[in-house]
Amino acid sequence: MDKKFKRDLNSLDGIFKFINEFSAKTGVDESVVFTINLVVEELFTNIVKYTSENSNEILLQLKKNEDDLIIHLTDFDVDPFDITKTAEVDTKQSLEERRVGGLGIHLVKQMIDKIEYEYKDRQSKIILIKHLEK
Amino acid sequence: MFEAELKNNNDIKLTGRFDASQVENAKEVFNSVTSSCEVDFTNLEYISSAGLSVLLVTQKRLSESENSLKLTNMNKHIRDVFRYAGFDTVFEIV
Repeated sequence: MDKKFKRDLNSLDGIFKFINEFSAKTGVDESVVFTINLVVEELFTNIVKYTSENSNEILLQLKKNEDDLIIHLTDFDVDPFDITKTAEVDTKQSLEERRVGGLGIHLVKQMIDKIEYEYKDRQSKIILIKHLEK
Repeated sequence: MFEAELKNNNDIKLTGRFDASQVENAKEVFNSVTSSCEVDFTNLEYISSAGLSVLLVTQKRLSESENSLKLTNMNKHIRDVFRYAGFDTVFEIV
């Protein structure tokens, strides 16, 4: 299933609704639905925060095969931003040392089995793969 | 739908989905807390890093006066998110 969303935090409700429709149609279980919601929100809000000068819509694609759930998030006519190369967050730090922010991509990396990044013709595409338990 | 509600004795009850579009609503309530406080997660279905940041900012502020948040009754998925973020060591979770 594919759908484009406006580059705005107010798109989140529509994104969650779209994920629910996909989940109902494909029968993925509740814990996977939670994961899809969270990783898509984190990456989408990241795009909204860091590329707000661009007015193109963002394409969300959800697919499921026998073994995997596959999420593509594509941003058009933008500079590259490879999330696979972002700095690691130290989750062992004390409360005083903890910085606010930067946690979103860390959570995505924890919850997803494989992350790939492609950049071609000014299209920035994040590919997430979650192995499904049988 | 999301609601952060201040209860009688300085406690907070969270309901619904705490996503990035709800940060400003939540901040109003969390910023009004000035002493140790219990946050009830019983009716919270979902939280993302945006929600975690509101909790972290509040915990940091309260810790300066040796106060803290106590988080209660999280569902399994939310508890996993706290664990992945390493927040199980900076909050009391019961």
